[in-house]
Order: sequence, then structure tokens, then C-alpha cells
Amino acid sequence: MALLGTRVYLGLDASAVTATALADGLGRSRPRGFARVALEPGALAPSPSGANLPGADEVRAAVRRAVSGLGGRRVTLVLPDGLARIALVDRPSGVDPRDFVRYHLAASLPWPASEAIVDVLPAGRGRLVGAAVRRATVAEYEQVAAAAGLEVERVHLAPLLALHGLMRSGARDAVHAVLGDVAMCLVPFHGGSPAALRNRRRDRSPGEADRLLDEASRTSAAAGNGVEPVRLVLSGREAARLRREIGESVAEQALAGPGSWPEAAETAWVGGLLS
Amino acid sequence: MSRQPDFSTAPRPHRPQLWDHAALVAGVAALALSGTAAWRAREEARDAGVRLAEVRREVETASGKLRALAGQARVGAPVLPAAEAPPARIVAALASLLPGHARLDGLSIDYERGGVLQLNVVAGDAGAWDLFLDRLGREPHFREVEPGPESRDAEVRSLVRALWVGSAP
Repeated sequence: MALLGTRVYLGLDASAVTATALADGLGRSRPRGFARVALEPGALAPSPSGANLPGADEVRAAVRRAVSGLGGRRVTLVLPDGLARIALVDRPSGVDPRDFVRYHLAASLPWPASEAIVDVLPAGRGRLVGAAVRRATVAEYEQVAAAAGLEVERVHLAPLLALHGLMRSGARDAVHAVLGDVAMCLVPFHGGSPAALRNRRRDRSPGEADRLLDEASRTSAAAGNGVEPVRLVLSGREAARLRREIGESVAEQALAGPGSWPEAAETAWVGGLLS
Repeated sequence: MSRQPDFSTAPRPHRPQLWDHAALVAGVAALALSGTAAWRAREEARDAGVRLAEVRREVETASGKLRALAGQARVGAPVLPAAEAPPARIVAALASLLPGHARLDGLSIDYERGGVLQLNVVAGDAGAWDLFLDRLGREPHFREVEPGPESRDAEVRSLVRALWVGSAP
């Protein structure tokens, strides 16, 4: 029984619109429904500034199709990786965490800090994952959902949902790569908590697997893991392909979602919600 | 699930879920039940107070009656001073009434009740028994003679009650 009701999550990324209905209980959420509608290349282009939805009509139609079988018109919007500035920071004392993150990220934002929407996710060991998104960009996604007849209750970030799932499930000590369509997060975990966080755009041209492994090794070393062979855990878009290319003895896969939804493995945030 | 960061351009207050509504209904129901229980308990306490007052009144009434009856009992049966009815004198009076085939097996004297006697009498035959009762009834020292149940096998055994009046007229 869904003690806390059923919540519909609507995620948008460059390759597809994904919708899932989850029953909120006293423990973990349980899957109730899933739909993934592919988008034509270029219809949605995640970017921290500028227009994200050049094919807004196609995206709106895909949104309608994705949620049509799940019921309800209230949704939680999940924004793709590649929009936000994300950083792992020490929890400040005597200061509002959002104000601290806004101050911390202000210099690196490609838009005026006053236009940023900032929020934080507790990351354990006195740390926070802070993120800043441009208000106009969020509004662009909210508008496409509203145009599809939906009411947006909350707006989450896909990489933060995935990170929260990894932390909640007690992620093993390794470098976790959370892959979106156009961006990814590299997060070395120590003792179930993130020790560092790098967020960068993906280069999906040939050789991505080797580049990813090299970058994971550098990230692991920079996070204080020494020179041990890196252990890489992949989740999200094309995680299975990259794992095969890197070698299954080195790389593992996580946040694959329920087995009954094979396509959910392409969206790490769904696995994060269910972990 | 725990709270996730919200990046809405217009954050909304928490939307009540089914659980919230259920908790509200359960709270209201619990409040109503406790109110009803408290009202019933108050009514029961009030009824118990009324009953207690009635019982107290009955106890007071019964106590008054008991005191009155005790007074009457004292008035109706004055204590007989032992000096006015020494056992030797009573035994001597009784011995003079017993026929030859009858004897007195036991005697109790209740001075508190004004000299009530209980006589255990054994008579050798019915004639001796009847003669003793006749003499006892005629004797002015004794009144209110009440023969008890008789056993008339070979001899007659019985308990006789009588009141010693001594030399009273």
C-alpha cells in the first residue's frame, strides 16, 4: 500500500523523456510504472545557459506520451545533468548552507549569481553537495511541462537524485561515474560518503571508455586513494556499453533500477530513487 | 524518502499526502474517543457519588434503628443482679419440683437477659416428666415455661426454658 501516495517523476534529457510512478512508503519507494519516449537529436540540448529546448513542441509531445499511462497531472520534474554547477563543500557553521554555496559557486557561474536557484544535499561527514541552476533555465523546463497539461510540484536534479541513492544504499569504496546524456559526475566514495566530486560534460566520441578510466584514476588519486588500481562503478546513460569497453573486471554497474524496467538503467536517477 | 533539494522557480508548500490525511483522521478520532470516554467517566463518577450518598443515608438510618432497638432491648430485659438469684437458691427450688424418677442434668442462668434459665432434664418415664412440667408451671418462682423437644425412648430427655422471677409477685 502506498502509505504516502504515488508520486510521478518526469525526467528530461537529450536522448529521451522518462517518466516513472513510484509509491512512497515508510521505507523505500516502490516502482509502479515506467515510460521512456525517445527524442530526435537536437530537440533538447542541456546547457547551463541559453535555450535548452529548441524542439519544444516535440519535447512537449514526448512528455504527454510518457506520462499518459501513469495517471495524475502532478509531477516532480527531474532536470538533466549539464545544467547546474555542482560542488562538494564542507558544511559551514553559523551560515545558511544555501547562502554559503551561492557564495562558493558565484565566481564560476556563467550567469549572474542573483539569477541562480541554489539548494543543497547533505553528503555525510559534515559535507554538502551544493548546486546552482539558472532560474530562466528551470523555467524553460517547467513551461514545457505546463504546456503538456502538467502541474510541477518540485524540481530535482538528476545527478543529485542518483548521488542520494548511492549514499543511501551505502555505495562501496570506488570512483562512481553517474552518466547523463551530455554530462557526468565522477565521485570517489570513501566509507559510504563522497570524498570529492567532479562534474563535467561528456565526450562521447570514440575512446570515451579509455578517457573515462584515466579521468577516474586521476580523480581517485586526487581524492587521496593513492596509486591503487582504480575501481570504477558506472551508472546511467550507456553504463553497460562503457563497462564492456573498460572491462568488467575493472568496472561495475550500479543504479540499474528494477529488472522489470531494462530501460531504467539508462537513467541513473530512477535507480537512485529506488535504492 | 528524505528531502531532496528543490530547484523550483516557485517552491510550493508541502502537499498533504494520504498519510497526512490518515494521521489527521486518526487524531480527530482519538480526540473524539477520549472526549467521549472522559464524559462517560464523569457521568459514572457522578452516579457513583449519588449512590454513595444514598448508601450513607441508609447506613445512618440503620444505625439509628440499631441504637433504638438496643435501647428497647435493654428496657425490655433488665439485667438480673446475681445477688437476687443465687444459683444455689434456683437449684434448690428446682430440686423441690423434681419427682423421684427425674433429675436435673444441667442448668444455665442468663443474668443479662433477666434470669432466663435453660434446664437439661432427664425423666425416668413420661409420667415423671409430665409431673415435673406441671409442678414447674405451678411454681410462682418460675414463669414463661417453654418445654423443648422431647426424646421419649426409655426415658425422657428435654431442654426446658423458663424465667426465674424469684419472690416477685
